[in-house]
Amino acid sequence: MAVVDQRPTAARCPVTSGFRPFDHDGTYEFFSMARREAPVFYNEETDYWVVTKREDVLSVFKDPERFSASNVLDSLEGYPEELTRFLTDNGFTVEPVQSNTDRPRHTRIRQSAGQFLNPRRYREYEPRIRALVREYVNGLRGKDEADIVAELTHEMPARVVFMLLGVDDVDPLMIKRWALNRATMIWGKPTRQEMIDAGHELNDFFHFCKEIVEDRKWAPRDDYPSKLLELRGGDDSVLTENEIVCLVFALLLAGHEAVTNGLTISILTLLENRGTWEELVADPALIPRAIEEVLRHSTPVMTWRRRALEDVELSGVTIPAGGKVLLSLASANHDEGQYERPSDFDIHRPDARGHLSFGYGIHVCMGAPLARIEMKIVLEELINAFPGMELVKGQRPAWTKTMAHRGPQSLLVRLGGSDHG
Amino acid sequence: MAEVTWITAGGERITAEVGDGVNLMEAAVANRVPGIVGECGGGMMCATCHVYVESDHRTGEPGPIEADLLDFADAPRRDGSRLSCQISARPELDGITVEVPPAW
Ligand code: HEM
Ligand code: FES
Repeated sequence: MAVVDQRPTAARCPVTSGFRPFDHDGTYEFFSMARREAPVFYNEETDYWVVTKREDVLSVFKDPERFSASNVLDSLEGYPEELTRFLTDNGFTVEPVQSNTDRPRHTRIRQSAGQFLNPRRYREYEPRIRALVREYVNGLRGKDEADIVAELTHEMPARVVFMLLGVDDVDPLMIKRWALNRATMIWGKPTRQEMIDAGHELNDFFHFCKEIVEDRKWAPRDDYPSKLLELRGGDDSVLTENEIVCLVFALLLAGHEAVTNGLTISILTLLENRGTWEELVADPALIPRAIEEVLRHSTPVMTWRRRALEDVELSGVTIPAGGKVLLSLASANHDEGQYERPSDFDIHRPDARGHLSFGYGIHVCMGAPLARIEMKIVLEELINAFPGMELVKGQRPAWTKTMAHRGPQSLLVRLGGSDHG
Repeated sequence: MAEVTWITAGGERITAEVGDGVNLMEAAVANRVPGIVGECGGGMMCATCHVYVESDHRTGEPGPIEADLLDFADAPRRDGSRLSCQISARPELDGITVEVPPAW
């Protein structure tokens, strides 16, 4: 087969010109057309090869030999020179540790992290997570109307990360701001000044993580940084101290923004599908199924990235060596080849859990079991406390606009009082 | 090469020839056996490849990490519980039957 450069043709194609990576309105309709007409296409605006079919996305995830993860956290816009200098001058020694590393480094670090970030550990936190969620739910009682983002889903997941880190004296809103800044630096389109301001805050954030690790060196606790220090045992070939700081930094970024969005989207989707909400009220054992279907139907992390290390053909298109690849998880989760009537929200589909919302393979999300626990507990507690909850009519919440994270920034609900217990 | 039969939670039997060295999670996914997801690609992170193996001990016992994770699979652990990503097909397994737990 002749190797053709796809760029000039792709540039004229309606698929390419219709792609709006930062705006999630109409995204699913767009991808449905893309899967039919140009399942792999080149997007000039971002310089990414966009992959839309589930089978192709999966084959990229399964092939770390030919697709490097090194660009996963690259800034789409690039940092201004001034910011890079500021960060270097201020001891900002962030290095790749997890999502943006390749083997064998990735294997070494992931193995250590997995000694703490695993289902057994997460299960131990369940009672404390439930107590935390009940605190928030009790705060809602007696109210007629509430913004469920401001009063629950924004902050709660950050406090769960604090549990893992053994941090109890920090304002969760500060962490939320830091993480959102970071996400905008990576996946958004900030102005030059916004980028520089965010970079300054990021530096504070990194030094905050350094202090946590420094503290645990002298006063170990039963938490993630202490466990990493114990595994290290002073041996740089296991983990360096800077890698441990970076792992803490990474957890504070990876561990809550997607959960916030996953939770808000779950509540929105279930209330929009009243019949399903009623079904869950009647039979809360269906909640885990509902969560998987929300993750499939309304994917909170829309895209993930890789870089081709050699020429690779996918769906008849050759992605050249060095090409940057954008995997549309949202599109893969709506692929007609896998799912019947993919845009229907149906918690009884047999295969919802085959979604790619947590990625797949050697990099698969290390927090997936924890995210599932958090989502389950929140839905159980809300459904139990406010079975009559409804969306406030006529609201048009703003959605986060980055290329990866997606979620409503507010969600007004009527709590509809009638308590179960 | 081994002939492997999966019995799904719905009672359906799916049989396939599996090449030596291919693990039973990969084979199940390739044959679209419902209930086997294999989310972590065999990294022993997810337990979404949990199966019950007929109890003739041909496949051996789970190792320590596997045993740990089996306690956290969605469906209850019982005699014969294995992570199918940890079982590679080989001639001695020819004719084996594995049962897939209900997805939820
Ligand atoms: C609904 C919530 C979440 C979603 C949708 C999500 C999504 C993702 C995705 C798509 C990846 C990339 C996987 C790949 O490349 O194959 C990932 C990686 C990762 N996630 Fe999550 N995540 C969520 C929650 C969490 C939580 C709560 C934590 C931490 C406790 C976490 C920690 C991580 C880590 C450490 C990685 C990197 C793993 C590696 O590269 O080896 N995530 N996540
Ligand atoms: S595939 Fe994840 S544990 Fe077997």
